[in-house]
Amino acid sequence: MSAVKHSQAMHFQARAGEKVRNPVLQRALQKAKPLFVGKRAKGVAALADDGLDFELLRTTCEGIRNRTLADLDVWLDIFEERAKATGAEVLWARDGDEVSQLVVDIARRHGVTKAAKSKSMLSEEAHLNEALAAAGIRPVETDLGEYIVQLAGETPSHIIAPAVHKTIEEVEALFAKEHGRPIETRTSADIPAMTQEARAVLRQHFLTAEMGISGANFLIAETGTAALVTNEGNGRMVTTLPKVHVVVTGIEKIVPTLEDFATLMRLLPRSATGQSISNYVSLLTGTKQPGDQDGPDKTVFILVDNGRANLLGSAYQDMLRCIRCGACMNHCPVYFSLGGHAYGWVYPGPMGSVLTPLYTGIENALDLPHASTGCNQCGSVCPVRIPLPTLMHRLREEQVERGLRPWSERLALKTWAWIAGKPLLYRWLTRRAARYLSWLADGEGRIRILGLAPEWTAGRDLPVAGGQTFHELYAARKRA
Amino acid sequence: MRLALYVTCLVDLMRPSVGFAALRLLESAGCAVVVPEGQTCCGQPAWSAGNKVLAADLAKKAIAELEGYDYVVIPSGSCTDQIRNVYPQLFAADAHWGPRSRAIAERTYELTTFLADVLKLPSALAEFDGSVTYHDSCKGLRGLGIKRQPRELLMKVNGLSLKEMTDCEECCGFGGAFSVKFGDVSTRIVDRKCDSIAAAGADAVVGGDLGCLMNIEGRLRRRGDETTRVLHIAEVLAGGGDS
Repeated sequence: MSAVKHSQAMHFQARAGEKVRNPVLQRALQKAKPLFVGKRAKGVAALADDGLDFELLRTTCEGIRNRTLADLDVWLDIFEERAKATGAEVLWARDGDEVSQLVVDIARRHGVTKAAKSKSMLSEEAHLNEALAAAGIRPVETDLGEYIVQLAGETPSHIIAPAVHKTIEEVEALFAKEHGRPIETRTSADIPAMTQEARAVLRQHFLTAEMGISGANFLIAETGTAALVTNEGNGRMVTTLPKVHVVVTGIEKIVPTLEDFATLMRLLPRSATGQSISNYVSLLTGTKQPGDQDGPDKTVFILVDNGRANLLGSAYQDMLRCIRCGACMNHCPVYFSLGGHAYGWVYPGPMGSVLTPLYTGIENALDLPHASTGCNQCGSVCPVRIPLPTLMHRLREEQVERGLRPWSERLALKTWAWIAGKPLLYRWLTRRAARYLSWLADGEGRIRILGLAPEWTAGRDLPVAGGQTFHELYAARKRA
Repeated sequence: MRLALYVTCLVDLMRPSVGFAALRLLESAGCAVVVPEGQTCCGQPAWSAGNKVLAADLAKKAIAELEGYDYVVIPSGSCTDQIRNVYPQLFAADAHWGPRSRAIAERTYELTTFLADVLKLPSALAEFDGSVTYHDSCKGLRGLGIKRQPRELLMKVNGLSLKEMTDCEECCGFGGAFSVKFGDVSTRIVDRKCDSIAAAGADAVVGGDLGCLMNIEGRLRRRGDETTRVLHIAEVLAGGGDS
């Protein structure tokens, strides 16, 4: 149960407060949100220029994912068979610990001292970097955002923009320290230069790492292929330069055919960054063949369950459709008030509010399904139509059914429902409440501190009407 | 046409003027309006908290009270969403309450949708001297597709000009229990909404859900904005906005 051990999701509420009060973080988030939202909107609108209908495409993609999940075992078998036919090895891992064990074993067998990594959220689930370091193998993150986060000793706070929570000043300070040079004053115009600086460092790692580790955006059953969708060349370096390439990915990432992959690709980059296609789309099949210029001598696929199989056939199966585009978090008012770290585990935002309780245990992430205003911006942008608010609601119901909610909340709801079930009592009590509120209010009709909801009045004044309820006034009007 | 006006618990307790404005609007359009006496709460707080049993108890009570009218009209997208979209879900497998909940759901309308789409109010409504900006509430917008109707109605108010804010469809951060459980996160979200409102530079912010409006008004005042008025659309349409 390594996931539970490392999940900090229990501390959501406290962390959320911390993040809201962090001005540096708030500045970084404030800058990022309109970019994400605006780019996606443009990307979706541009579909029409290609004669494509967004809603129709969503339905098609939802259908592809549902069909795959309906026969997941069959597609996985086909993938294994085809991948093996290309010379790749296919291994299976039940949980994160098994992933780490397998990767460390492979590394040891091939005398690996350094592993260059392209972004893989599953390796975060498995805490692979820690396991590799413990085995004396140096893991180097090569995605620029992940590189920054690794230098800072942190975890990604976004699934496609891991360092979105950092300001340019913070990155400059990190680079200066790690690259051994004095700090300079940087503006956004300096970003290309800073990127070049990271590139120069990373290039050495690409050339000297004996092993490359990547995730996969999709696995294509038809051809036994791993598909990688990136905007940085690091993915290609990691998967082709080192002699060993290990792909670590979840079993739900499979799609039946190349055609299906091509269809999903119409929505994935558009939903993530607004691009019609990302800078690099790599289809990796098999190992280096005689006469090939590059490619690994050995390719290993590690297909990971880590809680996914449990969702098949459950009330939460829809969640397995997720193609990890990040659109839900990019449009979530809660995510963009906190950043990803507050969520306490690998996946933040609305998708994390569903995945974290499901993968690490509902009792270990009680706040997350409630960390939503119910606005449904996430559901309305999800390219594969995952009903995220409905799934969060289902988790809330499960918490209630299992008696996991605090007694104060249970008592409050029960009392409210009991009173609301008795109209006469309800009328009498609301009349008293209206008078009480009006008595609490100041000369301007506002309550500045309300003992019953201190969190609410910490940030707002509660406006109060004249001390009489509608029903009371209405009854008086009818009598008159 | 005989219709039931469902006065939400927030309107009942916090701002009765919204209920009376809705009543005036419907009556002056020629509807015979009844305010069913036993009505209390639609059960949304229990449902949102994940308590199906309590939510179903209150839903049954509401269904029994609201049956027998041609329409049920509610000055709130959020409670309307509960009755239209959640009630049938709650009783999907119930042979007795299933059909009854579906029948109620079909006849239940949010106020602006009812005025614009069912009554098709043709001519000028009230007077309003100034500009307003409209906040789209999440449940109304994404749950019921309310977008055009309130704007159409506002445009019929004499003297009123509409100044759209950027991100009018963004959540205000209320979310019922959310704003109590995660008060500081909610405050952060409503701050962004207040910024959009300030940038729009309208005399009033108008919406269709009292929860959002209390949240927005509460934050505007705490931030020191004493001039931007915060009004329910019923108040504006019924001419109560100038009182």
